[in-house]
Amino acid sequence: MRRLLYYFLILATTACTKSHDVPSQYTDVNEQAPIYPDYRDIVIPQNIAPLNFMVKDAKGLVAVFEGTGGHCLTVSGEDRIDIDSAEWRNLLTAGKGADIKVTVYADIDGWKRYAPHTLTVAEPIDSYLSYRLIEPGYELYRQLGLYQRNLENFTQRVIYENNRAYENDNNHCINCHNFQNYDTGHMLFHVRAQHGGTIIIDGDKCKKIQIKSPDILAAGVYPTWHPKMNLVAFSTNKTGQVFHIYHKEKLEVVDEASDLILYDVDRNEVRNIIAGPDFETFPCWNPAGDKLYFCSAHVKQMDNVPDSMAAEVISHYYDSVYYDLKYMTFDQKSMKFGKPEMLIQASASHKSISVPRLSPDGRYILFTLGDYGQFHIWHKSSDLWVMDLDTDSVYALREANSPDVDSYHTWSSNGRWIVFASRRMDGNYTRAFIAYFDKNGKAHKAFCMPQRDPEYNILLLKSYNVPELTKNAVNVSPGDLRECIYETSGDTARFTGNIKRSVDGSTGASRQLDGKTGASPKNGN
Amino acid sequence: MKNSPKKTHKTPVTASKNGKTGFRLPILPVLSIMFVLTYIWAAWYYADVLRMARERSFWVMSPDQMNFLLSKEFGGLWYIGRMLLQLFRYPWLGGLALSAMITLGTWCLGYAMRLSPRWRWLQYIPAGAYMMYIAYEGINLFFENEGGMIMGIPFCILLILLIWTALIASFSRKRMPALVCPPKDETRWQNWGQMLMLLVIFGIQAAWTELQRPYTRVIAKENVCLINSDWKGVMDVARANAGISHRPIAAMYAIALVETEQIADRMYDIRLDYDSLYLHGQSGEHSLSLCLYQEDCDYYAGFVQTCMHHAIERITMIGPNIHSLELLAKCSILRNENEAAYKYLRILQDVPFEGDFVRKYMAYVGDSAMIADDPEMAMIRKLEPIHDSFENNYQQPTFMGYNLALVEGRSKNALYNSLACCIYTKVMPAFMMRTEPLQGQTPPENVSDALCLMANKDPGIMKRFTGLDLRYTILSGRIAEMKPYMKDRQKYAKELFPKFKGYYPYYYFFGNLKATRKNNDTASSSAGVN
Repeated sequence: MRRLLYYFLILATTACTKSHDVPSQYTDVNEQAPIYPDYRDIVIPQNIAPLNFMVKDAKGLVAVFEGTGGHCLTVSGEDRIDIDSAEWRNLLTAGKGADIKVTVYADIDGWKRYAPHTLTVAEPIDSYLSYRLIEPGYELYRQLGLYQRNLENFTQRVIYENNRAYENDNNHCINCHNFQNYDTGHMLFHVRAQHGGTIIIDGDKCKKIQIKSPDILAAGVYPTWHPKMNLVAFSTNKTGQVFHIYHKEKLEVVDEASDLILYDVDRNEVRNIIAGPDFETFPCWNPAGDKLYFCSAHVKQMDNVPDSMAAEVISHYYDSVYYDLKYMTFDQKSMKFGKPEMLIQASASHKSISVPRLSPDGRYILFTLGDYGQFHIWHKSSDLWVMDLDTDSVYALREANSPDVDSYHTWSSNGRWIVFASRRMDGNYTRAFIAYFDKNGKAHKAFCMPQRDPEYNILLLKSYNVPELTKNAVNVSPGDLRECIYETSGDTARFTGNIKRSVDGSTGASRQLDGKTGASPKNGN
Repeated sequence: MKNSPKKTHKTPVTASKNGKTGFRLPILPVLSIMFVLTYIWAAWYYADVLRMARERSFWVMSPDQMNFLLSKEFGGLWYIGRMLLQLFRYPWLGGLALSAMITLGTWCLGYAMRLSPRWRWLQYIPAGAYMMYIAYEGINLFFENEGGMIMGIPFCILLILLIWTALIASFSRKRMPALVCPPKDETRWQNWGQMLMLLVIFGIQAAWTELQRPYTRVIAKENVCLINSDWKGVMDVARANAGISHRPIAAMYAIALVETEQIADRMYDIRLDYDSLYLHGQSGEHSLSLCLYQEDCDYYAGFVQTCMHHAIERITMIGPNIHSLELLAKCSILRNENEAAYKYLRILQDVPFEGDFVRKYMAYVGDSAMIADDPEMAMIRKLEPIHDSFENNYQQPTFMGYNLALVEGRSKNALYNSLACCIYTKVMPAFMMRTEPLQGQTPPENVSDALCLMANKDPGIMKRFTGLDLRYTILSGRIAEMKPYMKDRQKYAKELFPKFKGYYPYYYFFGNLKATRKNNDTASSSAGVN
């Protein structure tokens, strides 16, 4: 009865009546409205913030949202619409699992009615998206921060911002934020330069640690938090950067060397997982925590190259470095890893894989495929691909991809949404895009994270970097993090040697991008 | 009853003691004179410097877009300061606002401090201190400086003084001193004492600028000419100040020569020894001047992508600024990155007085015909690299290093740039290799002179080019003239410059001798992959 009353109230408040805002005279146009951002024919989460949009050069704008059961919402504005949050929420609640028809009227040299588009309301997405805001690429940094956006509205809160004013003693960069199982209870990020270290957040407490040892290649870089244990696998990379003077790509970030390490948070101990001549990077645990996926490249030209020459040599061969996707089993009791096994041999197709991410049900691996290298966030060739571990099929998410960069993706905790960074809007600045991933393993058209002002992304001179979904908000205050970063130097993790491998002798079949299977190449690790 | 001096000196012209009439100093409206002098200073003498401070700053109304500033200490004040600084897009307008603030502040101070006429000269000290600060900072005003301070500080002081004055005026019956008219309560000596104070302030300020920072106005003026694509203006300013030698001056002069196709003919009309500049970054430590001209040189030398790299780094380091955003818009247009071009132009659209720029270049977005018809962009197209490579492969800065290593160019202009870089850096083997396409022709002046120099070692050069014979004869005579000074080139370089101005062999032997000195200064922030 109460539910019926509730639906009645919604119906009463949103029932479609002809609004006085809708122009009485207009010309029908046989194409969809040129709205910005592009929210046409997309699948949206039930709990997403209002999808405000604009039509450039319009002198008047009216949008009529027609849901199921006669629910209707009419919004008007000059060249943009600002949808009332409560009315939008009612519309989506009533339209769950169904389509909302959107008809746009715009006054551009007279009123026009455009062909309608649809919004399909699907399952909810995790409420919070964390990201770093930073100027795109290049070498220098100044003001940057980690932020958390509530996707249900437009609230963005600061997780941590570095020093706002230039201070020699305090200038620091922050990067590589990561969470355990979509829960902000366990989080980490790195601080570089002044006050450097890795910040580990446990509930509402935080501490700084130093993952340094002469026995590991460099400090921890790309992290992945074990889903069940208090362990973090990191890649450790020696990284350089070079700038194109004419290429369509603007820069290259290349590794001269990289390994994998395992950090035990409770014991403050670190050890090598793989340390050798091959380049391993972007580790990622599966949801069961018994496999570690990672990218690996063997660069022949780097064999026997002394460290002093490594940067120069790799910069000559940067576009012939191809990363394959591999994995290792992990025994949670003995803490031993199995032998590296080839999963996708992208190098055989002269392609390269980066940033593998397992879906929460463990069925799909989502990764970025590009023409070469591992820093695909600056490669226009990079696209999102998945491997279905049940069927062994590997395919591109064509509907979600764009001709420009698509990378740094994350799954929602229900596995129905992926959020990723894309430069598709202007080729330079990454923006967070959301795409629906249906039960059949198909991705749908991606749309830009909504903003109150539809022009926000045009006016913003920073990139959205490494979007990560979480179910809850970060508990630690920026003040506490600041105190931890500024006031503590951090304990140095104890190096406990190389990890011994369990001997299972398996040499699993690997998948190539063309669907062929191939034997795993011998791996010196 | 004794006569008070106040009573005897109230009128400008009175009878002298012996009854004869004569000239007496008039009582002047000193504050009005101050306003005029300050206006002349801000709208003419220092106009280009303040204009450049505006160009390297940024202000839009939106607090979201200005958060980078508002989140800093005193951000609100700098926000207002930057807003007022925008008026210097037209120095007559900015000058009017600044001189009004300074004059009004001075008047308020005198009243609020209840200064008697005898001590009224003190009221000019804060204004003088402010102007001295401006003169002292010089080019730092438009290099990694908080532009909001220029107008924000006088605004803040004025605001405080106005409130103070209003409070005092509410509770006091004291008459307010004259602001526009000649004061009635001052003796001639008191009045002229204030006038003297004013003259001292402006005199010291101008003397300091001319003697200690002679490059400030030159660099700013060249920059303003550059913004207006006034190449003749850039060259005239550089040549009129040929003895003042600093890298930014030479860089902008070189850009003007490239644009007018004279880079291989007239580079040595100015001294190229590079005296040190007073330049500090955000850290307060000495900085290299490269950041003052790097983006411009990248752009006009055809390195559009490198220009974008450095423009974004400037924005990263100091926040958005009009100059970098304009370059980014133009670069994006040239690279056919239409959405990015629109983005930068849209941001600039909200900056006051940027409408003309936005309208002009918005029309270029996606229109290759308009780009081809634009002389500036057409020249850049001629100079763009043909093949890709990494900036890191070259000696820095890239616009020099690439040209030193140029193997293939799109045009003769690219070849001339390369030759000019080779002879400028005195890398003669590289120069000789690149003269091959000119064989059988008469090369440009500076190139011809360099070839004559090389002909001393390889006489065969004279046969490979035309028009060198007369130059070679002149060279022999001039080398003989220089010979006595060769033993201490560093010492005689400046002295000989007027005599050999414009002559490449002089530069070869006496110019830019400090170039090899290793500069250990580093960029203003740590670098690495973010």
